[in-house]
Amino acid sequence: MTTVALGPKDFKSELKPIWCPGCGDFGVLQALYRALSGIGRAPHEIAFVSGIGCSSRIPGYTTAYGFNTVHGRALPIAQGIKLARPELLVLVAGGDGDGFSIGGGHVAHAVRRNFDLTYLVMDNQIYGLTKGQLSPTSPHGLETATSPYGSLEDPVNPLAYVLSYGAGFVAQGTPADMPGLAKIVEEAIRYPGFAFVNIQSPCVTYGQEVQQMKVHKATMKTLASVGHDQTDRIAAMRLAQDYGKALYTGVFYRNPEPPPTFEALVRERQTAQGERPAREKILDRYLQRAT
Amino acid sequence: MARLDLRPRPALQPEYCKGCLRCVDACPKDCITQAGDLNATTGVRPVVLHLDDCNGCQLCIQACPEPYGLVPQKAPGETASGAKAPTAAHDPGEFELEDPTHLFGAKTSTLPAPVDLPGLALALPTTEPLMLKGTYAAALGALLAGCRHVFGYPITPSTEGAELMAKVLPHLGGSFVQAVSEVAAINMMYGCAGAGLPCMTFTSSPGFSLMLEGISYMIGAELPGVVMNVMRGGPGLGNIAPEQADIKLMTRGLGHGNTHAIVLAPSTPQEMLDLSRLAFELAFAYRNPVIIAADGYLGQMAGVVRLPATLTRPGLPAWAVWGDRAHRMNLVCSIQLSDTDLEAHNHHLNDKYADITKKEQRAETWLCDDAEVLLVACNTPARMAKGAVMDLREAGVAAGLVRPITLWPFPIDEMRAILTKRPRARVVVVEASPGQLEDELRLALSHAGLAPPPIQSVRRMGGVLPQRGEIVAAVLAGQDVAASGGVA
Repeated sequence: MTTVALGPKDFKSELKPIWCPGCGDFGVLQALYRALSGIGRAPHEIAFVSGIGCSSRIPGYTTAYGFNTVHGRALPIAQGIKLARPELLVLVAGGDGDGFSIGGGHVAHAVRRNFDLTYLVMDNQIYGLTKGQLSPTSPHGLETATSPYGSLEDPVNPLAYVLSYGAGFVAQGTPADMPGLAKIVEEAIRYPGFAFVNIQSPCVTYGQEVQQMKVHKATMKTLASVGHDQTDRIAAMRLAQDYGKALYTGVFYRNPEPPPTFEALVRERQTAQGERPAREKILDRYLQRAT
Repeated sequence: MARLDLRPRPALQPEYCKGCLRCVDACPKDCITQAGDLNATTGVRPVVLHLDDCNGCQLCIQACPEPYGLVPQKAPGETASGAKAPTAAHDPGEFELEDPTHLFGAKTSTLPAPVDLPGLALALPTTEPLMLKGTYAAALGALLAGCRHVFGYPITPSTEGAELMAKVLPHLGGSFVQAVSEVAAINMMYGCAGAGLPCMTFTSSPGFSLMLEGISYMIGAELPGVVMNVMRGGPGLGNIAPEQADIKLMTRGLGHGNTHAIVLAPSTPQEMLDLSRLAFELAFAYRNPVIIAADGYLGQMAGVVRLPATLTRPGLPAWAVWGDRAHRMNLVCSIQLSDTDLEAHNHHLNDKYADITKKEQRAETWLCDDAEVLLVACNTPARMAKGAVMDLREAGVAAGLVRPITLWPFPIDEMRAILTKRPRARVVVVEASPGQLEDELRLALSHAGLAPPPIQSVRRMGGVLPQRGEIVAAVLAGQDVAASGGVA
């Protein structure tokens, strides 16, 4: 592992983002550059995995090793990478549709396995890439291309969802406060275990009026300002109930005693097995009875 | 002396013993040992009882996981004791662990038998032709066929069809549900189709991949349903430009098992409507999903579309699990645990596939009667091929076009008729795929026992379509475009 002094620009790739002008994801990208420069891991030691969606383009705009994967399957792919190369810093990004609709089933299992991954969800309550359909976090009644008379479904609450599966680090941020978001993302990356950041990233083209940057700036409230204790999971759960009603930023929950990660347990078990037996011995174990 | 408290000792039924040795561990007197000899009937080694020390505690009988492995010995003079164990030569009818569907014979019922309620064709007033994009035309076709339930997941370039359905269906007593994924969408169709109602989905190649499992289940359970696959570039994420590289998947690879479905290939917005209507008719006629193979251009291309003279009010098939007294005895499922039953079911499906192959081949032929060169193409590339035929005719080459409308079953009867009439014609397959249409042609020729004519290929991939000039040049030069060897 090399730790060197790197500036935000060292993580900026030559590819120019093709998001709509004013997209919240620009702010997320800036925050990410800052967070990564704060961490100080060289770009080649970072694997950045995403699913499909506007926000999933983000790995390409960094100098990290990137992988724009299958819709909804970024987490399983990231787990594969982490098992193969536990020493890499593995980041996962995606949108609300990628993470909580088609990939919803994977989140719970990534959380409970507790790989050391950082999962950044750019939540804009809409499908932007396919031009404005209902998303799993769209509020009840939202009119979209596939719900022209208003959605009949209640939204997923990503914060409560991930908290209830026992994630050790759950936070929320918005690009309306880019430096604050950078700090949250950096803390998430530093947490040794599965860390989740729900980033309220406005969609300027298909998003709701009440989810734009200006509104975020006016309504956001830091969790510190409401006197929230980061280590209190129940209090975090209570605050998470306000998802969609109030925009809290900061760390909802951080496990003060992080349990061992999956990859650490795997290594422990490998060590416990002792010296690796010779190949002939392994073959003997299975072949003896048959002969 | 009266026998009051003599506990029966265990007796072994060797043909039920699987040699698990649980009784060996259970016996406090070490009366049971592992045997050496294989049982000829079961092929496993049953335990051996040495009952000299046995006190009849019956712990071994309790430990035995088999219902008849260890049973209490019959006391002298008794006719039976404990469980009624069948002997090895038992009557199969007495065996309790039998497949329950055979256990009681055919169920008798006093419920009224369900009858087919046929659909009604209602006259549609004549209207001016419409200018519609392909996905809208397909949605309209489905509505006219009586489809009121649509399930889907957004994917370019097919989403507009679903969006139109979301707008229209609530006014028609139907509903569109945006599923959480294509996997969910196809299984919603399974449920809706099981109730006997026409339903469909709009998707594109990567989404279609995800639906294959559900399609296999629907074919197994013999359920109708229409899947509109607006093909895009692949493999993997690929791009959103038109391609035809799902032909193999749709004709030969509909999930696991012995599966086939009629694959309809439109080439105009009008056909997007007509074939979408036809798809529902065929799906219900054969109780099988029908796939519409469109491509990205057809999904997005607008054209003149005339409405048909009638629309359909769907009936209710007798097999539907409709949820009333009459349909109470119906069963929709794709599981057949008995191997012989499943083989019989596959024979039944094969008969259906053979029937479809005989009756449902469709193709458009154009200027083939005197053709020396036969272009074979479908979907959007067929439009370019048609232009190329005109250009070639102007250049003095007698070209004709065979446009398969059903990709499965491949219209080999039409092809055979033409090749019999024009035995020296050479064939040029024009496609936006690495030879998947050509493979279908070659396979169909082979199954029909026809010697393949000389076949030339014009193939583009990745969202690039074969161009009219390119086809003409290839035909005139007699040279392939992008046909690498060895992919067949």
